[in-house]
Amino acid sequence: MQLKATNEPRPFHRPLLLSAAAALVATLGGVQPAWAGDKGGDSADDDGTRTKREEGSHYRKKAEEKDPLEDTATKRAGVEFAGYSDNDHISVLTPSVHAGIENVSGASLNGSYLVDVVSAASADIVSTASRRWQEVRQAGSLSGQYKPHDFGVGVGGSVSSEPDYLSYGVYATVVKDFDSKNWTLDFGYGFSKDTAGRCGADGACTPFAVFSRELQRGAFNAGISWVVDKATLASVSTDLIIENGDQSKPYRYIPMFAPDVAPQVPNGASIDSVNAHRLPERPLEQLPLSRKRFALTGRYAHRLDDSTLRLEERVYGDSWGLYASTTDARWIFDLGKRFALWPHGRFHVQSGTSFWEKAYVSNNANGDPATWDLPLYRTGDRELGPLWTLEGGGGFKWYLGSDAEPRSWQLGFSADAMYTSFTDDLYLLDRVGYLGALTLEVEF
Amino acid sequence: MDVRITLAAVLLALAGTGCSHVAPYERGKLAHPMMTAGDLEGPAAAHVLAVHEGATGGGSLSESGCGCN
Repeated sequence: MQLKATNEPRPFHRPLLLSAAAALVATLGGVQPAWAGDKGGDSADDDGTRTKREEGSHYRKKAEEKDPLEDTATKRAGVEFAGYSDNDHISVLTPSVHAGIENVSGASLNGSYLVDVVSAASADIVSTASRRWQEVRQAGSLSGQYKPHDFGVGVGGSVSSEPDYLSYGVYATVVKDFDSKNWTLDFGYGFSKDTAGRCGADGACTPFAVFSRELQRGAFNAGISWVVDKATLASVSTDLIIENGDQSKPYRYIPMFAPDVAPQVPNGASIDSVNAHRLPERPLEQLPLSRKRFALTGRYAHRLDDSTLRLEERVYGDSWGLYASTTDARWIFDLGKRFALWPHGRFHVQSGTSFWEKAYVSNNANGDPATWDLPLYRTGDRELGPLWTLEGGGGFKWYLGSDAEPRSWQLGFSADAMYTSFTDDLYLLDRVGYLGALTLEVEF
Repeated sequence: MDVRITLAAVLLALAGTGCSHVAPYERGKLAHPMMTAGDLEGPAAAHVLAVHEGATGGGSLSESGCGCN
């Protein structure tokens, strides 16, 4: 927080209180105070002579000159309660808080904290004869930016912790405005390190020192945004993410099939069917040890008379052979000064990775692990397979602040439904999920 | 899916937006809160999408943690 010297007169809160107290005392005592008759107490008597009222005003001004500091920072705080549930028996409850402070000098500081409570009994878990499990993830982030004029720098960090997964990351950004902020360039680099371990069904975890897998991630980001016209903004950004390490899940066992059986396994084959036709061996997932990911994202925002249209398109490709397109649209309608309402739509489609197989083939069926002939890479992560997701929903904001600043208090709610089709997968043909969030945000 | 066609369409659409010099006093509409780059979705929605979509990018550099072990 920065305190800024100012010569502007302070609000008359304190004199008003004094006036009210004096008026109360005078009323009780049957005496009308000379300077308690108006808000400012700074007008002259009918005869125009100098009165106690003027003297009171004079003394107040003297006091104000001795205390000329004013807090010019804008503080924000918010809380969100979000929930997700789908027909694959996964539910997540996520309360979170965030707070920030921004100064007129261009400095800002933001922090957030959230807890994920995950409960899962998905087909992938049940297929390994495991019970429903629950897990709690905690994540926090802290970031700061200083942008006094047309050039700014920012730094930040985040930590995420689960019983069997620890991740932390740091990043730095620079931003530069050109042509009176008609266009802006920004660059960033982030580094994160993840450590994955393993916990048993009883909740006991193997220490990271005994068993763990590490993943290091470097992310480069560059973007340009520009003013298209008096009502339109656009931006394009690129991301290059380089990951090194073993991302294979230590819980994920992959069913294997004989060469003549694998082609006959249908999409969405049930757990019982898979167990009846698979080979005895069931090796752990194994993913490539490095991955390069590239994304190009375009954003477009257009302000109409009483609404705002926001569009986003992202195209993505990586060295594992996964290509994707994600389209997101929101049309936000203002309903007077107090409400905003929007429909939301999103469509995501992706190919599978080059090593994705619905039914992996093992050429050796004698059951001896020493002679298993397994594919080098194998996965059961359905988010690495071909799929498409259609999401639709909406939300609203209710501005509860004063008439002068209605957005100083905001109550928001959003709800979306997601339908995902798995086009080449075991256990599931599709998934329907629901996501809702209730938010309260305050600015002061 | 032909990514090249999608990419070309995106670039063509963005190029079509062009740009012009807009003076600061003409930016009343651009200053509307709903025009800002901040997402209307909170951290929970962003995490659900990150876990359910095989793609990434276009978001914050501060993302970390899997939550999907």
